[in-house]
Amino acid sequence: MEYIIQTTSLTRKYGQLIAVDALDLAIRPGEIYGLVGADGAGKTTTLRILAGVLTITDGEAWIAGERLATNAEKIKSNIGYMAQQFSLYGDLSVSENLAFFADIYDVWGVEREERTRYLLEFAQLTRFHNRRAQHLSGGMQKKLALASTLIHQPDILLLDEPTTGVDPVSRREFWEILTELHLGGTTIVISTPYMDEAERCNRVALLHNGRLIRSDKPRDIQSSVEGDVIRLTPENWQYAQQQLKQIPGVLEVQTYGNRLHVLLSKGEGNLSYLESELDRRAIQFSGLERTPMRMEEAFISIVSKLEK
Amino acid sequence: MAKRIWSLVIKDFTHLIRDWWLPAFMLFGGLLELLVIGWATSRPITNLPMMILDQDQSTASRKLISALKNTTTFSISHYALSYDEIDTAMDRGSINAAIIIPNKYGTEIEAQNGKPTIAVILNGAESTAATAALRSIEGLIADLGIGITIERFGLPEEALAGFIPSLRVWFNEALNEALYTTPAELGLMLEFTILIFAGLSFSREREMGTLEHLLVMPFSSLEIIAGKSIPVIIIGFIDFILLGGIVRFAFDVPIRGSVSLLLIIALIYILVELGKGLVISVSSRTQHQAFLIIMLVGMVDFLFTGYAVPVESMPSILQTLSNFIPAHHWLVILRGILLKGVGLETLWPNVLALVILGIVIGSVSIFFVRRSLD
Amino acid sequence: MSLRHVYAVTLKEIRHILRDKATFFLVVFTPTLLLLLLAYAVTADITHVPISVLDMDHSPTSRAFIEQITLGDDLELISHVNNIKAIEDQLLKGSIKAAVILSPSFERGLYAMRGAGVQILVDGTEPQSGGFAVDKIALRSDEFISKLLVKQFAAQGMNIENLLPIDVRTQTWYNPNLKASVDIIPGLLSIVLALPGMSVALTLAREREHGTLEQLMASPVGKSELLLGKMIPYILSGLINIPLTTAIALYWFGVPFNGNFGLFVLLSSIFFFANLSMGVLIGVFIHSQAAALALSLLLVLFPGFFLTGIFFPIAAMPPIVRMEALALPGTHYAIITRASFVTGAGIDVLWLYGMALLLMGIAFTGIAAYSFKKKLA
Repeated sequence: MEYIIQTTSLTRKYGQLIAVDALDLAIRPGEIYGLVGADGAGKTTTLRILAGVLTITDGEAWIAGERLATNAEKIKSNIGYMAQQFSLYGDLSVSENLAFFADIYDVWGVEREERTRYLLEFAQLTRFHNRRAQHLSGGMQKKLALASTLIHQPDILLLDEPTTGVDPVSRREFWEILTELHLGGTTIVISTPYMDEAERCNRVALLHNGRLIRSDKPRDIQSSVEGDVIRLTPENWQYAQQQLKQIPGVLEVQTYGNRLHVLLSKGEGNLSYLESELDRRAIQFSGLERTPMRMEEAFISIVSKLEK
Repeated sequence: MAKRIWSLVIKDFTHLIRDWWLPAFMLFGGLLELLVIGWATSRPITNLPMMILDQDQSTASRKLISALKNTTTFSISHYALSYDEIDTAMDRGSINAAIIIPNKYGTEIEAQNGKPTIAVILNGAESTAATAALRSIEGLIADLGIGITIERFGLPEEALAGFIPSLRVWFNEALNEALYTTPAELGLMLEFTILIFAGLSFSREREMGTLEHLLVMPFSSLEIIAGKSIPVIIIGFIDFILLGGIVRFAFDVPIRGSVSLLLIIALIYILVELGKGLVISVSSRTQHQAFLIIMLVGMVDFLFTGYAVPVESMPSILQTLSNFIPAHHWLVILRGILLKGVGLETLWPNVLALVILGIVIGSVSIFFVRRSLD
Repeated sequence: MSLRHVYAVTLKEIRHILRDKATFFLVVFTPTLLLLLLAYAVTADITHVPISVLDMDHSPTSRAFIEQITLGDDLELISHVNNIKAIEDQLLKGSIKAAVILSPSFERGLYAMRGAGVQILVDGTEPQSGGFAVDKIALRSDEFISKLLVKQFAAQGMNIENLLPIDVRTQTWYNPNLKASVDIIPGLLSIVLALPGMSVALTLAREREHGTLEQLMASPVGKSELLLGKMIPYILSGLINIPLTTAIALYWFGVPFNGNFGLFVLLSSIFFFANLSMGVLIGVFIHSQAAALALSLLLVLFPGFFLTGIFFPIAAMPPIVRMEALALPGTHYAIITRASFVTGAGIDVLWLYGMALLLMGIAFTGIAAYSFKKKLA
């Protein structure tokens, strides 16, 4: 089996609105596959379809060799799905939630005890096993949700923005868990609004308005974007940003604190060209230098090109 | 301030329109239900299944049977051939009454000093029906008996008519049963509508966690209360007008008193129930809890509307309690204005009680809601 | 179907109920509490109905007549008035429910055998007490007058033993004194036991509102496993309530229980199943708790009161409404409760109603399971 998840012309409409538009995805077993895109790009809809909780308007999807439109129930026990909003029972305790999912995923006996102990440890929730889920912090809730989706050791994990609203430490821990699972051979499809997370995926799919723009390795996507990134720290960044946008050849200006990242069309003399343009416009600045293109810039560059 | 309250009111209405099933059920479902229930219950008791065992088979027994048919109280389901049939049918609950005409019935009637007897068996498992059946049979037998006496003694036709009390039914000369039933049914539905909308107002936001958003916004607790209350008042008032329209036009219940007084008191009543609903709402953590409390409170209140049993006949402790039940005063006022055409000069004790209850419940409710919001 | 999945859902639902003390208390004790209150008020015998008298005759006979009318404690003579205007005022205020007017020629008319001139005025707005008062007054008036007339006829040489020669021998089966409490309290059981079950409609809507249903949809739990699992806790709470409510009816209100308790429990469980399956059906179609709650009131509470024949006989309803009443589980259960308590009917009679409930339950659950899709949209 070359692809564990495959979709062809997958389309989902809500009335007139096309949420997912003729999507062709092909995900290999064991991959961490990222879905990136702005809000409303169709990430959640795609994941919900793959989890079998949304009907398909048009096109096909196969998961682990089963046709999703007809055999969704067959594969549900192989999938772990984590919805974007907290969807466990707030009035049940951590271990009661885990026990419930163990029950409905038919995890019994010694295996169940071991899995529960392991997952509590793994998600660092052992101390809190008696606490009601609604009284956990946001990060702990996400980890509990992940633990619940892992109770039956699914081959495929579908995670919808699992780290949104989570503090940086928990986010790092969360990714450590995912890496461990990845090393264990689990296929992970994850949607994220964070580009640094996208860079951690084996491959990412760039979605825009329900359409697949590109699907490739993060590095290939970055390098495919034509242009250079130059960063500087202006005195008055608002004025500088406004002026920079008018300079011919500038594709995009992004703010990072008081620094600006300027995306320019590729060219040898870029740095000096920009410097002279800045001087000409009497913009005070410091620390002008080239910087490697990041996923974020690549993404914005691609999207802004599409929108033009 | 008015502007901010207005924004809250608009927000609540937006929610209601988004979840349009709730207002649709409560307003239009309630109307439909009042129509069906009112239609079903505002009628004399008729068609009670009855069995007759005619052992006499005489002209006299046939006359009795045809008189029974004419009452319309009964529908004669079966002419039994034996007592056992009656026994079985009673046990099955398939008849409400049975009449046995013994074989000497006809000859006893013919005889100058004969004493005809008939046996009536009533099914006590349905006491309302049994009572109606007994009343109907007794009336019919009395009429037949007077006829026999007149015939036997050659008295003039109307000789005994003057001894029967004449009856005048005030406020309901046409004996329209809807006058008894529909005001109480209206009262029940209106109360539940207000309690549900008010009862869910805070409990829903608390359960969904959106109450916090409301609390961090720059609204004072009074503004929040007003913002939550105004939609309920509007809905309650619309509901009252719709239900009242059904009672007036579909069931021909008159409005003999002042319409404007009725509307003013309806508004007061809606405010009182709103206060109760808000207290339920802030003391419930979930909608489920609010639902269960609303059912308890609403059903208890319904008792005191006099639908099933007159309040005067209740145990004295419940009679005392009835003074503290807004629905009790409301029904007295509603019946008074609709059917008796009286005004404040007569109804003032109930109106005063309603206003006092309103002030007490209102202050308690504002205190409670503010305490739980702050 | 996996029983373990059903068990898992049931356990989870029980935990939800137990977790919140107020919810637990309400789910378990609402029926008992309500029965206590409803039964107390609903079955009070009508007594002390206030009436007044306008005696324009002022004769020994009229005084004897009035004495006879107010003999029992069911009617209470609150005042003698002097004119009809006073009666009008009392009726308007509602301080009396009925009034008796004796004409100035009451005594003379009786002895001259011309007529009595008794008039009864009654408040036509009172659903219960007015009619009751009229019945009592008319009955006693007839007794009084006919006794007097028989004497007068005898004086004229006519030996009329009884003006109403037909002797009606009435037997009331099962409930000899025709006490309302005997049949209405068992009837009320069919309402109060139905109420907590309506929560099941809310639990499905709650999972939808809270987003937890999405997680269940993505899991291998079967639709009927989920629906059944949600029903079981409420069947259990219903079963807890059967001994509680029965005990209250028996020992507090003195209602007899003539049937077979085991059969009653069995049929009650079938009723819970049918009632809950209606709740589940509501939950499948109605996606918000508030709306599910409103629909439960419309489909269970209001019809339970008015259309299941507890207060108003079903036989007297228009045929279409009678059909509607028969489609409600509560109607059949009201028959079962009354039969079990009052007539003591056995399985030979009740199997039909049990079967109807079972079929309803299966049909409602079937439609619910069929219509419930493990899809958000």
